[in-house]
Amino acid sequence: MSDAPESSAPSPGSPQEKLARRTKELEVLQRAAENLSSTLDLNEIYASALRTMGELFEFHHSIIVLAEPGGETLRVVASRGYDDQGVGGRVKVGAGVIGLVAERRKALYAGNLGQQRAYAAAQRRQMVEAGRGQELGEAPVPGLADAESQFAIPLLARDELIGVFSIESPVKRTFSPHERGLVSIVANQIAIAIHNAQLFEERTQAAIALQAANASLEVRVAERTAALERELRVAEELLSDARSRVEGPLLGDSGAVRVLREAIAREAPRKEPLLLVGPPGAGKEAVAHAVHAASQRAGAFIFVSCPEAHTASRSASLELSTVDIGPDCAFEARFLASKFELAAGGTLYLDAVHELPDECYPFLEAILRRERVGDDVRVVGSTTQYVGRGGHGSRVDALLRVFSRYRIAVPALADRREDIPAIVGHFVRRLARQLGKSVTGVSPESMARLTAYLWPGNIRELRTVLERAIMTARSSVIEIEEDLLDEGLAVGSYRLVSPLGSGGMGEVWLAKHRLLARPAAVKLIRHDVKHGVPQDQLVRRFQREAQVTAGLRSPHTVQLYDFGVNDTGSFYYVMELLNGFDLHTMITRFGPQPAERVITLLRQACRSLSEAHTHALVHRDIKPANLFVTCLGPEYDYLKVLDFGIVRDERGSDATLLTAQNLVQGTPAFMAPEVVIGEGRIDGRADLYSLACCACFALTGRLLFQASTAAQMLLHHVQTRPAPPSQMTELPVPPDLDALLMMCLEKDPGLRPASAMELDVHLARIKVEQPWTQEQAREWWDTHAPETLGRQ
Amino acid sequence: MDTRLPAEIRPVLDNGIPAAMVTCSGDGVPNATAISQVYYVSETHVALSFQFFNKTIRNVRENPRAHVTVHDIHGKSLWMLELEFERSETEGPVFDAMDMQIEAIASMTGMTGIFKLRAADIYRVISVERQFYPPHV
Repeated sequence: MSDAPESSAPSPGSPQEKLARRTKELEVLQRAAENLSSTLDLNEIYASALRTMGELFEFHHSIIVLAEPGGETLRVVASRGYDDQGVGGRVKVGAGVIGLVAERRKALYAGNLGQQRAYAAAQRRQMVEAGRGQELGEAPVPGLADAESQFAIPLLARDELIGVFSIESPVKRTFSPHERGLVSIVANQIAIAIHNAQLFEERTQAAIALQAANASLEVRVAERTAALERELRVAEELLSDARSRVEGPLLGDSGAVRVLREAIAREAPRKEPLLLVGPPGAGKEAVAHAVHAASQRAGAFIFVSCPEAHTASRSASLELSTVDIGPDCAFEARFLASKFELAAGGTLYLDAVHELPDECYPFLEAILRRERVGDDVRVVGSTTQYVGRGGHGSRVDALLRVFSRYRIAVPALADRREDIPAIVGHFVRRLARQLGKSVTGVSPESMARLTAYLWPGNIRELRTVLERAIMTARSSVIEIEEDLLDEGLAVGSYRLVSPLGSGGMGEVWLAKHRLLARPAAVKLIRHDVKHGVPQDQLVRRFQREAQVTAGLRSPHTVQLYDFGVNDTGSFYYVMELLNGFDLHTMITRFGPQPAERVITLLRQACRSLSEAHTHALVHRDIKPANLFVTCLGPEYDYLKVLDFGIVRDERGSDATLLTAQNLVQGTPAFMAPEVVIGEGRIDGRADLYSLACCACFALTGRLLFQASTAAQMLLHHVQTRPAPPSQMTELPVPPDLDALLMMCLEKDPGLRPASAMELDVHLARIKVEQPWTQEQAREWWDTHAPETLGRQ
Repeated sequence: MDTRLPAEIRPVLDNGIPAAMVTCSGDGVPNATAISQVYYVSETHVALSFQFFNKTIRNVRENPRAHVTVHDIHGKSLWMLELEFERSETEGPVFDAMDMQIEAIASMTGMTGIFKLRAADIYRVISVERQFYPPHV
């Protein structure tokens, strides 16, 4: 066994030992550099820094403090070797070794802390004993309380203090310049690593904050956008609402609304006061807006509700005019004056001007006479009254007369039914949007109901009905139930059920008495046929006419139950309801009828006319459509004469309602020559001529004369001798009937039968092969119209 | 006897063991005192802290010569320095370094503003001599 030389550590201070130490230091520094530069995690950097210092020096207490925002304190972020790690604790800048290093940004090595502390403590005691204790401050003792040596170095990056790295020991320890250099190197690396990590952290936080800010911003932008969209929608709805208030009632293409638009265009450029006359809810305000818009006036459109002027004048004192209108002027007048000021250069709309408080009259009259301020204001008033209704000499009447030099008649909705679908469509779209409903339209049945309805409240009522229907709508197509329209389908004690037909002067409705449930026919006279005639005059004539008609007792004259004027101003007659056909329908649908049946029908017509003629009433419009063939109980082929609406009282010169304008009245194909010419006195023989025309039509299925125009037809009646009916049909016409009808068709009334009674007698004498019997009539009705008999 | 401070004296100056300083007044009355630190400035200069107006300071102002003994316990030796007062600095790197240490201690003992460096007295090294302890020490 040989004694191999043992490897021994190099002796201290030898070159080998120095080289080994330097090599180890280099390895530690290299590893520290790698570790510190390979991470951006602060905790990893702290751990690596503390570990590196521990490997380089035999210090077991090390601490890293970082500067906090504001620069007045440092916070312990990592430590090693202490019983109490103290992480999170704070050191004031300027206090103790660490605080001083941070303040001065210079490294500090203290190798005799214990002695210096003892020396300072002795000084402190002496001062206390000398009574100078109040000069002393507190004695913070960061780090080791019994530290003998400490080396603290500032962590600086680009001249910015990051923090302090400190190592301390309870034993006395010295640091050579080489060791201090090593500490500086490591500290620099630590500072840079921390700085980089902090930057990274800041940027990460900034990115997160930016992301959060972006998200927040996006949310805010979204919220703001939504708010703006809501505002836009509201604005659009307001605009739409405003526009539809203006345009809605003017929609449509009916003759009435076209006339209305023309009137607006005509009246808009004027400066004079304008009166809008029409029933409530017909859209007078919309017309006023339209006039204002078409006037191109730069000023505002100011609305004044005259019925509310009294209340408004006392609740809106701030709006009172500054214009001197006299010290004794009433509140109402001052209120009106303030509105005039607002309307300068524009339009002042006085809604329901007939209800303007009396206190306003002097001021308004002065304005209207251009005696005061406001001559640049177009005054537009609206009323439901016609001039004269207030009574001659009344203040209202005087005011309306001033206004009515220029006026526009706003038609009731019932007078422009053709426009209802367009108006309905408009309101449905707008109301559905406002109410948040998905409604696209109205069912065809409901539209028919809406179109047939009378609309006593006019467009305002239509809007309300649609609003209620849309609010309760369960599908995209709304249904308008009858109960929604009940009030509007009422005239007097009768409720209108459905329209039966319409003519040039009005409409006929199936109706039922509200209490008796008795069916009836209601005839409504159209509004537009009354235009230009004072209302009170119209009413008086209508009443007289209805009274005369009601006085006829013949069972062959349609019975009049009631008459009156409804809420919309329409005249109406309530008549007995008849099942069957008018003669025109019967001939058109079933062809010419046998002579014996025609004779039977003519005789019944004669009985009706005979009574009327006895009362000096001329029907003037005898035609197949006014001869109604029905079944009354067991009686078949019962004829009723309809429509005494244009009867003329032979005894008076006062024209009836529908003849007031001296127009040719009647139906051209059945009109007597004297009626066409309009000369001489018209009497019952004119009705006989017409009745003969009807008989020819019933026998032949053709009109007496063929003409392409009404004028030609009228001319034939005056000039042309008609062909006998027997020559116009293949069916047999008894010669006596042929001759009698030709007699009735004489141009000269004096050559015709003298009366309906006489004609009836002649008809009764005509011999026919087989008289028309009730049995034949019953079979005919059974075959051709069983529903009339209540059979299907 | 050397007139320059050797490198091996630097750890000794930092070892925290109080040094002994001897001065004489203008009329030759000696005074000995312990000083906490001898600050290495360069091979030819050291600095001593001037914290209080005491006899040592007065003496030095009258007689610039001083004698300082520094103990090296690990090296079982002592270093004797012959010094001559040159100037008193109240700013500059030497002052700052010394002030920082004193300030640190002051703040640790609640004596900030009281226990403070008034000046760094710079001494030129006239001679430096190392003497080892006798074997029985």
